[in-house]
Amino acid sequence: MDTRTKNRRISNVYYNIGLEKAKERDLTGAADVLKKSLRFNKYQTDARNLLGLIYHEIGEVGAALAQWIISLNLQQKDNLAEEYLQKLQENEGYLDMVDQAAKKYNQSLNYAHTDNEDLAVLLLMRMVDEMPNYVKAQQLLALLYIQNEDYTKAGRCLYQALKVDRYNPMAQRYMTVVKQNTGRAEVEKRKLKNAFSHRQMQDDDIILPPTYKENTGWQSILNILAGMALGVVVVFFLITPTVRDSIIGKYEEEIRKNLELVNQKSLQIDELERQMQEASAAQEEAESNLEDMVNNSGGVISQYQKLAQILQAYREEDVQSAALLYLDMDFTVLNDGVLDPIVAWVQQDMAANGFHILEQMGDEAIARPDTAQAIDYYQKSLTVKPDHVAVIYKIGLAYKSMGNIDMANQYFGDIIMNHPNSEYAQQAKEQRGY
Amino acid sequence: MLNFEEELKRFRPSLEIGNVEDAIGKEDMTDMTDLMTELLKEKGSLQ
Repeated sequence: MDTRTKNRRISNVYYNIGLEKAKERDLTGAADVLKKSLRFNKYQTDARNLLGLIYHEIGEVGAALAQWIISLNLQQKDNLAEEYLQKLQENEGYLDMVDQAAKKYNQSLNYAHTDNEDLAVLLLMRMVDEMPNYVKAQQLLALLYIQNEDYTKAGRCLYQALKVDRYNPMAQRYMTVVKQNTGRAEVEKRKLKNAFSHRQMQDDDIILPPTYKENTGWQSILNILAGMALGVVVVFFLITPTVRDSIIGKYEEEIRKNLELVNQKSLQIDELERQMQEASAAQEEAESNLEDMVNNSGGVISQYQKLAQILQAYREEDVQSAALLYLDMDFTVLNDGVLDPIVAWVQQDMAANGFHILEQMGDEAIARPDTAQAIDYYQKSLTVKPDHVAVIYKIGLAYKSMGNIDMANQYFGDIIMNHPNSEYAQQAKEQRGY
Repeated sequence: MLNFEEELKRFRPSLEIGNVEDAIGKEDMTDMTDLMTELLKEKGSLQ
Protein backbone atom coordinates (compact mmCIF):
# COMPACT_ATOMS: atom_id res chain seq x y z
CA MET A 1 0.00 0.00 0.00
CA ASP A 2 1.48 3.32 -0.94
CA THR A 3 1.80 6.29 1.39
CA ARG A 4 -0.98 8.25 -0.21
CA THR A 5 -3.47 5.44 0.31
CA LYS A 6 -2.33 5.00 3.92
CA ASN A 7 -2.75 8.68 4.60
CA ARG A 8 -6.18 8.60 3.05
CA ARG A 9 -7.23 5.72 5.25
CA ILE A 10 -5.97 7.38 8.40
CA SER A 11 -7.78 10.53 7.38
CA ASN A 12 -10.98 8.59 6.93
CA VAL A 13 -10.65 7.00 10.35
CA TYR A 14 -10.22 10.38 11.97
CA TYR A 15 -13.19 11.67 10.05
CA ASN A 16 -15.38 8.84 11.34
CA ILE A 17 -14.31 9.55 14.90
CA GLY A 18 -15.01 13.23 14.38
CA LEU A 19 -18.45 12.40 13.05
CA GLU A 20 -19.30 10.32 16.11
CA LYS A 21 -18.13 13.07 18.44
CA ALA A 22 -20.18 15.63 16.57
CA LYS A 23 -23.28 13.47 16.94
CA GLU A 24 -22.69 13.40 20.70
CA ARG A 25 -22.34 17.15 20.75
CA ASP A 26 -18.67 16.99 21.68
CA LEU A 27 -17.97 19.77 19.21
CA THR A 28 -14.55 20.76 20.56
CA GLY A 29 -13.40 17.13 20.44
CA ALA A 30 -14.88 16.66 16.97
CA ALA A 31 -13.15 19.78 15.65
CA ASP A 32 -9.76 18.59 16.94
CA VAL A 33 -10.13 15.20 15.32
CA LEU A 34 -11.38 16.60 12.03
CA LYS A 35 -8.35 18.87 11.82
CA LYS A 36 -6.19 15.80 12.19
CA SER A 37 -8.17 14.12 9.43
CA LEU A 38 -7.39 17.04 7.16
CA ARG A 39 -3.74 16.88 8.14
CA PHE A 40 -3.51 13.43 6.64
CA ASN A 41 -5.61 14.26 3.61
CA LYS A 42 -6.57 17.82 2.78
CA TYR A 43 -8.93 16.48 0.14
CA GLN A 44 -11.12 14.76 2.74
CA THR A 45 -14.11 16.93 1.76
CA ASP A 46 -16.53 15.49 4.28
CA ALA A 47 -14.18 16.25 7.14
CA ARG A 48 -13.71 19.82 5.99
CA ASN A 49 -17.42 20.38 5.47
CA LEU A 50 -18.20 18.92 8.90
CA LEU A 51 -15.56 21.12 10.46
CA GLY A 52 -17.25 24.12 8.85
CA LEU A 53 -20.56 22.96 10.21
CA ILE A 54 -19.15 22.72 13.71
CA TYR A 55 -17.68 26.19 13.48
CA HIS A 56 -21.05 27.49 12.35
CA GLU A 57 -22.79 25.74 15.23
CA ILE A 58 -20.60 27.31 17.87
CA GLY A 59 -21.05 30.77 16.37
CA GLU A 60 -17.77 31.02 14.45
CA VAL A 61 -19.42 31.74 11.13
CA GLY A 62 -16.35 33.37 9.58
CA ALA A 63 -14.30 30.25 10.21
CA ALA A 64 -17.11 28.12 8.80
CA LEU A 65 -17.16 30.20 5.61
CA ALA A 66 -13.40 29.79 5.22
CA GLN A 67 -13.59 25.99 5.47
CA TRP A 68 -16.46 25.72 2.99
CA ILE A 69 -14.78 27.98 0.46
CA ILE A 70 -11.58 25.94 0.68
CA SER A 71 -13.62 22.77 0.35
CA LEU A 72 -15.26 24.05 -2.82
CA ASN A 73 -11.90 25.03 -4.28
CA LEU A 74 -10.52 21.56 -3.70
CA GLN A 75 -13.64 19.80 -5.00
CA GLN A 76 -15.95 21.73 -7.29
CA LYS A 77 -18.48 18.99 -8.05
CA ASP A 78 -20.86 17.13 -5.75
CA ASN A 79 -19.90 19.21 -2.75
CA LEU A 80 -22.28 20.05 0.07
CA ALA A 81 -20.22 23.15 0.81
CA GLU A 82 -21.81 24.82 -2.21
CA GLU A 83 -25.24 24.34 -0.68
CA TYR A 84 -24.11 25.69 2.71
CA LEU A 85 -22.57 28.77 1.14
CA GLN A 86 -25.65 29.38 -0.97
CA LYS A 87 -27.90 29.28 2.06
CA LEU A 88 -25.72 31.77 3.89
CA GLN A 89 -25.53 34.10 0.93
CA GLU A 90 -29.29 34.00 0.40
CA ASN A 91 -29.82 35.26 3.94
CA GLU A 92 -28.04 38.60 3.89
CA GLY A 93 -29.40 39.73 7.21
CA TYR A 94 -27.93 36.72 8.91
CA LEU A 95 -24.42 37.34 7.61
CA ASP A 96 -24.58 40.92 8.84
CA MET A 97 -25.74 39.74 12.22
CA VAL A 98 -22.99 37.19 12.69
CA ASP A 99 -20.39 39.63 11.46
CA GLN A 100 -21.59 42.19 14.02
CA ALA A 101 -21.49 39.50 16.70
CA ALA A 102 -17.88 38.68 15.84
CA LYS A 103 -16.97 42.35 15.91
CA LYS A 104 -18.63 42.83 19.30
CA TYR A 105 -16.89 39.80 20.69
CA ASN A 106 -13.52 41.06 19.46
CA GLN A 107 -14.25 44.50 20.91
CA SER A 108 -15.28 42.93 24.21
CA LEU A 109 -12.05 40.98 24.29
CA ASN A 110 -10.25 44.24 23.76
CA TYR A 111 -12.14 45.86 26.59
CA ALA A 112 -11.36 42.94 28.84
CA HIS A 113 -7.65 43.21 28.01
CA THR A 114 -7.73 46.95 28.73
CA ASP A 115 -9.43 46.68 32.12
CA ASN A 116 -12.75 47.87 30.77
CA GLU A 117 -14.56 44.81 32.04
CA ASP A 118 -17.85 46.57 32.59
CA LEU A 119 -17.99 47.68 28.98
CA ALA A 120 -17.02 44.18 27.89
CA VAL A 121 -19.86 42.73 29.95
CA LEU A 122 -22.40 45.19 28.56
CA LEU A 123 -21.40 44.46 24.99
CA LEU A 124 -21.38 40.70 25.49
CA MET A 125 -24.71 40.64 27.33
CA ARG A 126 -26.59 42.10 24.38
CA MET A 127 -24.73 39.99 21.87
CA VAL A 128 -25.36 36.62 23.53
CA ASP A 129 -29.06 37.46 23.72
CA GLU A 130 -29.06 37.52 19.91
CA MET A 131 -26.68 34.59 19.53
CA PRO A 132 -26.91 32.31 22.55
CA ASN A 133 -25.00 29.56 20.72
CA TYR A 134 -21.88 31.73 20.43
CA VAL A 135 -19.84 29.55 22.76
CA LYS A 136 -16.70 31.68 22.99
CA ALA A 137 -18.73 34.77 23.85
CA GLN A 138 -20.63 32.87 26.56
CA GLN A 139 -17.34 31.68 28.02
CA LEU A 140 -15.79 35.14 28.05
CA LEU A 141 -18.88 36.58 29.67
CA ALA A 142 -18.83 33.81 32.25
CA LEU A 143 -15.21 34.58 33.01
CA LEU A 144 -16.04 38.23 33.48
CA TYR A 145 -18.96 37.34 35.78
CA ILE A 146 -16.71 35.02 37.76
CA GLN A 147 -14.16 37.81 38.05
CA ASN A 148 -17.03 39.88 39.42
CA GLU A 149 -18.08 36.97 41.68
CA ASP A 150 -21.46 36.89 40.03
CA TYR A 151 -21.52 33.11 39.92
CA THR A 152 -25.20 32.72 39.14
CA LYS A 153 -24.99 34.70 35.97
CA ALA A 154 -21.75 32.97 35.11
CA GLY A 155 -23.41 29.62 35.59
CA ARG A 156 -26.22 30.71 33.28
CA CYS A 157 -23.77 31.55 30.50
CA LEU A 158 -21.89 28.30 30.98
CA TYR A 159 -25.12 26.31 30.86
CA GLN A 160 -25.89 27.82 27.45
CA ALA A 161 -22.39 27.07 26.21
CA LEU A 162 -22.56 23.46 27.40
CA LYS A 163 -25.92 23.01 25.68
CA VAL A 164 -24.17 23.66 22.37
CA ASP A 165 -20.80 22.04 23.08
CA ARG A 166 -21.48 19.44 25.72
CA TYR A 167 -17.92 18.58 26.68
CA ASN A 168 -16.29 21.96 26.13
CA PRO A 169 -13.24 21.83 28.48
CA MET A 170 -13.18 25.50 29.31
CA ALA A 171 -16.89 25.68 30.04
CA GLN A 172 -16.69 22.58 32.24
CA ARG A 173 -13.78 24.00 34.13
CA TYR A 174 -15.52 27.29 34.73
CA MET A 175 -18.66 25.45 35.78
CA THR A 176 -16.69 23.61 38.43
CA VAL A 177 -15.44 26.91 39.78
CA VAL A 178 -18.98 28.26 39.82
CA LYS A 179 -20.24 25.26 41.72
CA GLN A 180 -17.43 25.44 44.23
CA ASN A 181 -18.15 29.06 44.91
CA THR A 182 -21.83 28.60 45.43
CA GLY A 183 -21.47 26.23 48.43
CA ARG A 184 -23.33 22.89 48.12
CA ALA A 185 -22.86 21.63 44.61
CA GLU A 186 -26.19 19.75 44.45
CA VAL A 187 -28.21 22.67 45.68
CA GLU A 188 -26.45 24.98 43.28
CA LYS A 189 -27.07 22.54 40.48
CA ARG A 190 -30.78 22.69 41.18
CA LYS A 191 -30.70 26.46 41.50
CA LEU A 192 -28.70 26.82 38.40
CA LYS A 193 -31.05 24.50 36.60
CA ASN A 194 -34.01 26.54 37.77
CA ALA A 195 -32.18 29.72 36.95
CA PHE A 196 -31.37 28.41 33.52
CA SER A 197 -34.69 26.73 32.74
CA HIS A 198 -36.54 30.02 32.32
CA ARG A 199 -39.66 28.04 32.80
CA GLN A 200 -42.61 29.83 34.22
CA MET A 201 -45.85 28.44 35.50
CA GLN A 202 -48.33 28.15 32.68
CA ASP A 203 -52.04 28.58 33.10
CA ASP A 204 -52.71 24.91 32.64
CA ASP A 205 -50.05 23.70 35.11
CA ILE A 206 -51.53 21.68 37.94
CA ILE A 207 -50.21 21.74 41.49
CA LEU A 208 -50.84 18.36 43.05
CA PRO A 209 -51.72 18.42 46.74
CA PRO A 210 -49.68 15.98 48.87
CA THR A 211 -52.71 13.92 49.81
CA TYR A 212 -53.46 13.14 46.15
CA LYS A 213 -52.64 9.56 45.25
CA GLU A 214 -52.67 7.97 41.90
CA ASN A 215 -54.95 5.01 41.29
CA THR A 216 -53.01 1.91 40.36
CA GLY A 217 -53.56 -1.63 39.15
CA TRP A 218 -57.01 -3.12 39.62
CA GLN A 219 -58.53 0.16 40.64
CA SER A 220 -57.61 1.62 37.30
CA ILE A 221 -59.08 -1.34 35.44
CA LEU A 222 -62.29 -1.14 37.45
CA ASN A 223 -62.55 2.54 36.78
CA ILE A 224 -62.12 1.97 33.08
CA LEU A 225 -64.76 -0.77 32.99
CA ALA A 226 -67.21 1.35 34.95
CA GLY A 227 -66.64 4.21 32.61
CA MET A 228 -67.24 2.02 29.59
CA ALA A 229 -70.48 0.64 31.03
CA LEU A 230 -71.72 4.11 31.82
CA GLY A 231 -70.82 5.19 28.35
CA VAL A 232 -72.82 2.37 26.80
CA VAL A 233 -75.88 3.22 28.91
CA VAL A 234 -75.65 6.89 28.00
CA VAL A 235 -75.36 6.06 24.34
CA PHE A 236 -78.26 3.60 24.40
CA PHE A 237 -80.73 5.74 26.29
CA LEU A 238 -79.78 9.24 25.37
CA ILE A 239 -77.76 9.47 22.23
CA THR A 240 -79.18 6.68 20.05
CA PRO A 241 -82.85 7.86 20.13
CA THR A 242 -81.76 11.39 19.39
CA VAL A 243 -79.57 10.25 16.55
CA ARG A 244 -82.30 7.97 15.23
CA ASP A 245 -84.88 10.75 15.33
CA SER A 246 -82.46 13.06 13.70
CA ILE A 247 -81.83 10.58 10.89
CA ILE A 248 -85.56 9.89 10.43
CA GLY A 249 -86.32 13.58 10.45
CA LYS A 250 -83.60 14.15 7.91
CA TYR A 251 -84.97 11.47 5.59
CA GLU A 252 -88.55 12.63 6.03
CA GLU A 253 -87.48 16.07 5.02
CA GLU A 254 -85.68 14.55 2.05
CA ILE A 255 -88.80 12.62 1.02
CA ARG A 256 -90.98 15.70 1.38
CA LYS A 257 -88.67 17.70 -0.84
CA ASN A 258 -88.67 14.94 -3.45
CA LEU A 259 -92.48 14.77 -3.43
CA GLU A 260 -92.68 18.49 -3.93
CA LEU A 261 -90.29 18.17 -6.81
CA VAL A 262 -92.40 15.41 -8.36
CA ASN A 263 -95.52 17.56 -8.02
CA GLN A 264 -93.83 20.45 -9.68
CA LYS A 265 -92.69 18.28 -12.52
CA SER A 266 -96.22 16.85 -12.96
CA LEU A 267 -97.65 20.34 -13.21
CA GLN A 268 -95.02 21.24 -15.74
CA ILE A 269 -95.84 18.14 -17.75
CA ASP A 270 -99.57 18.99 -17.75
CA GLU A 271 -98.85 22.51 -18.90
CA LEU A 272 -96.58 21.26 -21.65
CA GLU A 273 -99.24 18.79 -22.81
CA ARG A 274 -101.82 21.57 -22.97
CA GLN A 275 -99.47 23.74 -24.97
CA MET A 276 -98.81 20.83 -27.29
CA GLN A 277 -102.53 20.33 -27.89
CA GLU A 278 -102.99 23.99 -28.63
CA ALA A 279 -100.09 23.91 -30.99
CA SER A 280 -101.49 20.85 -32.77
CA ALA A 281 -104.88 22.55 -33.19
CA ALA A 282 -103.23 25.65 -34.54
CA GLN A 283 -101.22 23.54 -36.90
CA GLU A 284 -104.31 21.76 -38.16
CA GLU A 285 -106.07 25.05 -38.75
CA ALA A 286 -103.08 26.45 -40.55
CA GLU A 287 -102.82 23.37 -42.74
CA SER A 288 -106.51 23.58 -43.53
CA ASN A 289 -106.21 27.25 -44.45
CA LEU A 290 -103.27 26.48 -46.61
CA GLU A 291 -105.13 23.70 -48.34
CA ASP A 292 -108.01 26.07 -48.97
CA MET A 293 -105.70 28.66 -50.31
CA VAL A 294 -103.99 26.22 -52.59
CA ASN A 295 -106.85 24.02 -53.79
CA ASN A 296 -109.99 26.14 -53.63
CA SER A 297 -110.62 27.92 -56.92
CA GLY A 298 -111.91 30.89 -55.05
CA GLY A 299 -108.89 30.83 -52.86
CA VAL A 300 -106.28 33.52 -52.75
CA ILE A 301 -103.58 31.56 -54.50
CA SER A 302 -106.00 30.56 -57.25
CA GLN A 303 -106.95 34.21 -57.81
CA TYR A 304 -103.29 35.21 -57.89
CA GLN A 305 -102.73 32.57 -60.51
CA LYS A 306 -105.61 33.90 -62.64
CA LEU A 307 -104.39 37.45 -62.34
CA ALA A 308 -100.95 36.31 -63.48
CA GLN A 309 -102.65 34.60 -66.47
CA ILE A 310 -104.59 37.76 -67.34
CA LEU A 311 -101.39 39.78 -67.34
CA GLN A 312 -99.71 37.18 -69.49
CA ALA A 313 -102.67 37.33 -71.96
CA TYR A 314 -102.29 41.11 -72.11
CA ARG A 315 -98.60 40.73 -72.91
CA GLU A 316 -99.46 38.31 -75.70
CA GLU A 317 -102.21 40.68 -76.90
CA ASP A 318 -104.72 37.90 -76.42
CA VAL A 319 -107.46 40.19 -75.18
CA GLN A 320 -110.13 37.55 -75.62
CA SER A 321 -108.45 35.20 -73.14
CA ALA A 322 -107.78 38.11 -70.80
CA ALA A 323 -111.46 39.03 -70.92
CA LEU A 324 -112.62 35.47 -70.27
CA LEU A 325 -110.19 35.07 -67.37
CA TYR A 326 -111.26 38.41 -66.01
CA LEU A 327 -114.82 37.21 -65.77
CA ASP A 328 -113.74 34.24 -63.68
CA MET A 329 -111.87 36.29 -61.09
CA ASP A 330 -112.90 37.15 -57.55
CA PHE A 331 -111.05 40.36 -56.85
CA THR A 332 -112.37 40.59 -53.29
CA VAL A 333 -109.85 38.03 -52.01
CA LEU A 334 -106.90 40.01 -53.35
CA ASN A 335 -106.90 42.47 -50.45
CA ASP A 336 -103.31 42.51 -49.26
CA GLY A 337 -102.88 45.92 -50.89
CA VAL A 338 -99.76 44.94 -52.80
CA LEU A 339 -101.53 44.29 -56.13
CA ASP A 340 -104.16 47.01 -55.88
CA PRO A 341 -102.67 49.14 -58.69
CA ILE A 342 -102.54 46.15 -61.03
CA VAL A 343 -106.06 45.02 -60.20
CA ALA A 344 -107.36 48.56 -60.65
CA TRP A 345 -105.76 48.85 -64.10
CA VAL A 346 -107.22 45.51 -65.22
CA GLN A 347 -110.66 46.42 -63.97
CA GLN A 348 -110.48 49.81 -65.70
CA ASP A 349 -109.41 48.32 -68.98
CA MET A 350 -112.03 45.63 -68.87
CA ALA A 351 -114.72 48.16 -68.05
CA ALA A 352 -113.67 50.23 -71.04
CA ASN A 353 -112.96 47.48 -73.56
CA GLY A 354 -113.72 44.12 -72.12
CA PHE A 355 -117.48 44.13 -72.75
CA HIS A 356 -116.92 44.99 -76.40
CA ILE A 357 -114.40 42.22 -76.86
CA LEU A 358 -116.87 39.74 -75.43
CA GLU A 359 -119.60 41.09 -77.72
CA GLN A 360 -117.36 40.53 -80.70
CA MET A 361 -116.70 37.03 -79.49
CA GLY A 362 -120.47 36.51 -79.35
CA ASP A 363 -120.87 37.85 -82.91
CA GLU A 364 -118.18 35.44 -84.12
CA ALA A 365 -120.00 32.59 -82.44
CA ILE A 366 -123.31 33.57 -84.18
CA ALA A 367 -121.45 33.51 -87.52
CA ARG A 368 -120.09 30.02 -86.94
CA PRO A 369 -123.08 29.40 -86.06
CA ASP A 370 -122.79 28.55 -82.34
CA THR A 371 -125.79 30.31 -80.87
CA ALA A 372 -125.41 28.84 -77.37
CA GLN A 373 -121.76 29.99 -77.18
CA ALA A 374 -122.82 33.38 -78.56
CA ILE A 375 -125.42 33.75 -75.81
CA ASP A 376 -122.73 32.86 -73.25
CA TYR A 377 -120.32 35.50 -74.55
CA TYR A 378 -123.14 38.08 -74.74
CA GLN A 379 -124.05 37.26 -71.14
CA LYS A 380 -120.44 37.70 -70.07
CA SER A 381 -120.36 40.99 -71.87
CA LEU A 382 -123.38 42.08 -69.90
CA THR A 383 -121.61 41.21 -66.64
CA VAL A 384 -118.98 43.78 -67.55
CA LYS A 385 -121.45 46.34 -68.87
CA PRO A 386 -124.99 45.46 -67.84
CA ASP A 387 -126.64 48.34 -69.71
CA HIS A 388 -125.23 47.53 -73.13
CA VAL A 389 -128.56 47.59 -75.07
CA ALA A 390 -127.11 46.21 -78.27
CA VAL A 391 -125.97 43.07 -76.50
CA ILE A 392 -129.35 42.65 -74.79
CA TYR A 393 -131.04 42.83 -78.21
CA LYS A 394 -128.56 40.30 -79.63
CA ILE A 395 -129.28 37.84 -76.83
CA GLY A 396 -133.03 38.23 -77.57
CA LEU A 397 -132.43 37.52 -81.25
CA ALA A 398 -130.26 34.53 -80.39
CA TYR A 399 -132.88 33.02 -78.16
CA LYS A 400 -135.55 33.65 -80.85
CA SER A 401 -133.42 31.93 -83.49
CA MET A 402 -133.15 28.96 -81.11
CA GLY A 403 -136.95 28.92 -80.81
CA ASN A 404 -136.89 30.02 -77.18
CA ILE A 405 -139.52 32.74 -77.58
CA ASP A 406 -140.12 33.23 -73.91
CA MET A 407 -136.53 34.01 -73.18
CA ALA A 408 -136.29 36.17 -76.25
CA ASN A 409 -139.35 38.16 -75.16
CA GLN A 410 -137.78 38.67 -71.74
CA TYR A 411 -134.81 40.42 -73.24
CA PHE A 412 -136.95 42.36 -75.71
CA GLY A 413 -139.24 43.36 -72.86
CA ASP A 414 -136.20 44.55 -70.85
CA ILE A 415 -135.20 46.90 -73.70
CA ILE A 416 -138.78 48.22 -74.12
CA MET A 417 -139.23 48.77 -70.40
CA ASN A 418 -135.80 49.92 -69.34
CA HIS A 419 -134.39 51.47 -72.42
CA PRO A 420 -137.41 52.94 -74.27
CA ASN A 421 -135.41 55.73 -75.85
CA SER A 422 -132.71 53.48 -77.26
CA GLU A 423 -132.38 52.78 -80.94
CA TYR A 424 -133.25 49.13 -80.26
CA ALA A 425 -136.59 49.81 -78.48
CA GLN A 426 -138.68 49.92 -81.70
CA GLN A 427 -136.93 46.79 -83.08
CA ALA A 428 -137.54 44.98 -79.82
CA LYS A 429 -141.26 45.81 -80.09
CA GLU A 430 -141.31 44.46 -83.62
CA GLN A 431 -139.50 41.29 -82.64
CA ARG A 432 -141.81 40.75 -79.72
CA GLY A 433 -144.87 41.58 -81.79
CA TYR A 434 -146.39 44.07 -79.36
CA MET B 1 -9.73 29.60 41.43
CA LEU B 2 -9.21 31.04 38.01
CA ASN B 3 -6.46 33.38 36.96
CA PHE B 4 -8.35 35.87 34.95
CA GLU B 5 -5.41 37.13 32.92
CA GLU B 6 -4.18 33.67 32.15
CA GLU B 7 -7.61 32.56 31.15
CA LEU B 8 -8.05 35.63 29.00
CA LYS B 9 -5.01 34.68 26.99
CA ARG B 10 -6.74 31.50 25.94
CA PHE B 11 -9.37 33.49 24.10
CA ARG B 12 -8.60 34.14 20.43
CA PRO B 13 -10.41 36.72 18.29
CA SER B 14 -13.20 35.51 16.04
CA LEU B 15 -12.88 35.64 12.26
CA GLU B 16 -14.97 38.46 10.86
CA ILE B 17 -16.62 38.04 7.46
CA GLY B 18 -14.43 40.69 5.89
CA ASN B 19 -11.26 38.79 6.89
CA VAL B 20 -12.28 35.41 5.51
CA GLU B 21 -10.35 35.90 2.28
CA ASP B 22 -7.13 36.64 4.11
CA ALA B 23 -7.67 33.71 6.40
CA ILE B 24 -8.07 31.35 3.46
CA GLY B 25 -4.89 32.66 1.92
CA LYS B 26 -2.99 32.00 5.12
CA GLU B 27 -4.48 28.56 5.67
CA ASP B 28 -1.82 25.87 5.86
CA MET B 29 -2.92 23.37 3.28
CA THR B 30 -0.02 20.99 3.71
CA ASP B 31 -1.11 17.50 4.48
CA MET B 32 0.83 14.29 5.12
CA THR B 33 1.04 13.43 1.47
CA ASP B 34 2.59 16.78 0.70
CA LEU B 35 5.08 16.27 3.52
CA MET B 36 5.99 12.78 2.38
CA THR B 37 6.40 14.02 -1.17
CA GLU B 38 8.60 16.80 0.09
CA LEU B 39 10.67 14.35 2.14
CA LEU B 40 11.07 12.00 -0.80
CA LYS B 41 12.18 14.86 -2.99
CA GLU B 42 14.71 15.91 -0.41
CA LYS B 43 15.89 12.35 -0.05
CA GLY B 44 16.22 12.03 -3.77
CA SER B 45 18.17 15.24 -4.06
CA LEU B 46 20.53 14.16 -1.29
CA GLN B 47 21.21 10.91 -3.04
